[in-house]
Amino acid sequence: METTLSPRSLGRPGFVSDLRAFWAVVHREWTIFRRYPSWIIALLIWPLIFPMMYILTARALAGPDGSGLAVFLKITGASDFIGYIVIGTTVWMWQNIVLWDVGFSLRNEQMRGTLESNWLSPTWRFSYLLGHTGPQFISMLMFITITALEFGLLFHVRLHGSLWMILLMMLAAIPSIYGLGFAFASLVITVKEANAFVFLIRGLVMIFCGITFPISLLPGWMQSIAKWLPQSYLIHGMRAAAFSNAGIPALLPDLVPLLAFGAFWLIVGYFTFLWMERRARRTGAIGQY
Amino acid sequence: MKTTSLSQPSLGTQLRALFVIALKDWKVFWRYPLNAVSNIFQPIIWITPVYFMGKAFSTNGQALGFAAYSGTGDYMSFILLGTVLANFILTVFWGMGYALKNDMDAGVLESNWLMPVSRLLILVGRTLTSLLTTAITSLIMLVIAGALFGFKPTGNTLAAFLTALPMLIGLYGFGFAFAGLVLLMREANTLVDVSSFLVQGFSGTNFPVQSLPTWLIPVALALPLTYGLDAVRGWLLQTRTILPLNVEILLLIISMFLMLWFGAWVFYRVERQVRTLGTLGQH
Repeated sequence: METTLSPRSLGRPGFVSDLRAFWAVVHREWTIFRRYPSWIIALLIWPLIFPMMYILTARALAGPDGSGLAVFLKITGASDFIGYIVIGTTVWMWQNIVLWDVGFSLRNEQMRGTLESNWLSPTWRFSYLLGHTGPQFISMLMFITITALEFGLLFHVRLHGSLWMILLMMLAAIPSIYGLGFAFASLVITVKEANAFVFLIRGLVMIFCGITFPISLLPGWMQSIAKWLPQSYLIHGMRAAAFSNAGIPALLPDLVPLLAFGAFWLIVGYFTFLWMERRARRTGAIGQY
Repeated sequence: MKTTSLSQPSLGTQLRALFVIALKDWKVFWRYPLNAVSNIFQPIIWITPVYFMGKAFSTNGQALGFAAYSGTGDYMSFILLGTVLANFILTVFWGMGYALKNDMDAGVLESNWLMPVSRLLILVGRTLTSLLTTAITSLIMLVIAGALFGFKPTGNTLAAFLTALPMLIGLYGFGFAFAGLVLLMREANTLVDVSSFLVQGFSGTNFPVQSLPTWLIPVALALPLTYGLDAVRGWLLQTRTILPLNVEILLLIISMFLMLWFGAWVFYRVERQVRTLGTLGQH
């Protein structure tokens, strides 16, 4: 008599095991994050120095008598040019950091040579990506809080609007910013050396989303492109909430497209991951670098 | 018992090592051609917000405020020139400090260190290819950005080039000291990013340093790069310089020797310490 034994996995996949895997990735990333204490310096210095370069250029453009500043404030409708620039540059940095941290999370794992073995564990593989996002999100919250504190205390930037409305705009932007990060992380596994793609995406935000100027100054064709970038709505909405005391009705034209882009990028991010996973198994690309 | 090395170091072997390091970096650079494209377009991307911001500060297309500080209202030529020089500044910072970090991560630093070649020469070798590729990509960037934003140098190009030389050579001193810090601290990204960003910023790559807040002006004036950028702009764009041009050039030459000596001194001290601690292979 011939007996056929079907291979059985020792793993028992389920919701709890997925949660445990997610938590293990979060824990590991947090340990690595703390291992290199220079992040403390980065966290304190970057929020200050990146906007500073644009702020100092703006000071030079304003002139010794500040005549240029009056023109700028009239065109932008802002009451404070420092706050105006800081909001734009902070949104840019948020997207930039997510692209590097979340976008390269799987790639870094691949470079360390641990991606393939992790891939064999009987868990929901998307939890690896989500696990990387956890500590990143916490550090990003710290980053934004430090930005607000530094510019508030050192440069006396004051809000003329509601903090809750600013937070609402940021909350609405999370799906699009991280969805883009997920899609990117999956593509990086396939294309490997993807620094140039980060430069491209963050470059689009830098050029088209008006991080230091109003989008209305752009030529028509550039304004059309800006409408397809969620960060344009985030920057515009945050500035309106911070300096024009805009409420929910006034923010709706920014909130609605931001949420729509968010849903789009989350779906694209998840399905790109699934596509990459299947492709990587078929081609054996997971272990290559 | 006398231990003799099989190696026979000479000027020829040192130069050969230099060439081999540069050739290896050249191959690696062109292995990823997208990096070259990125090097050309990245600076353009970074200065585009400044271009539009400048429009928001201008009246009838004239940046009068900027002209009051610098002596020229052509802020884009001012910034483009600063960007090209900043590319070279970055090359020396990244070329040495970051190359060491890459070698650490790849696990080849310790074996490279065993070569009978001067360690400063290894560092210099790591910058040769990047200097050449920076020159190529910066030139292309200048042509493209000139077409997009306008670039109108009206002065003496040769004098500007000769003025830039002591500044760039002096930068190697900065780079040596910095490479030593990378050996000591190991995690170099933040260190490289922040310090090169600050040095670039305070030396006035994007704006005349006279526009800095009063308490920051001494920081800018303490950096030799400030005089280099200022003098090159003075030659090429006829801007108002901080000091007379001949005084700035003299300062650049003196600081070149000082920085080279100080940088090498710091590097060798740190390197000895790292070898004593045995942490060269760690990352």
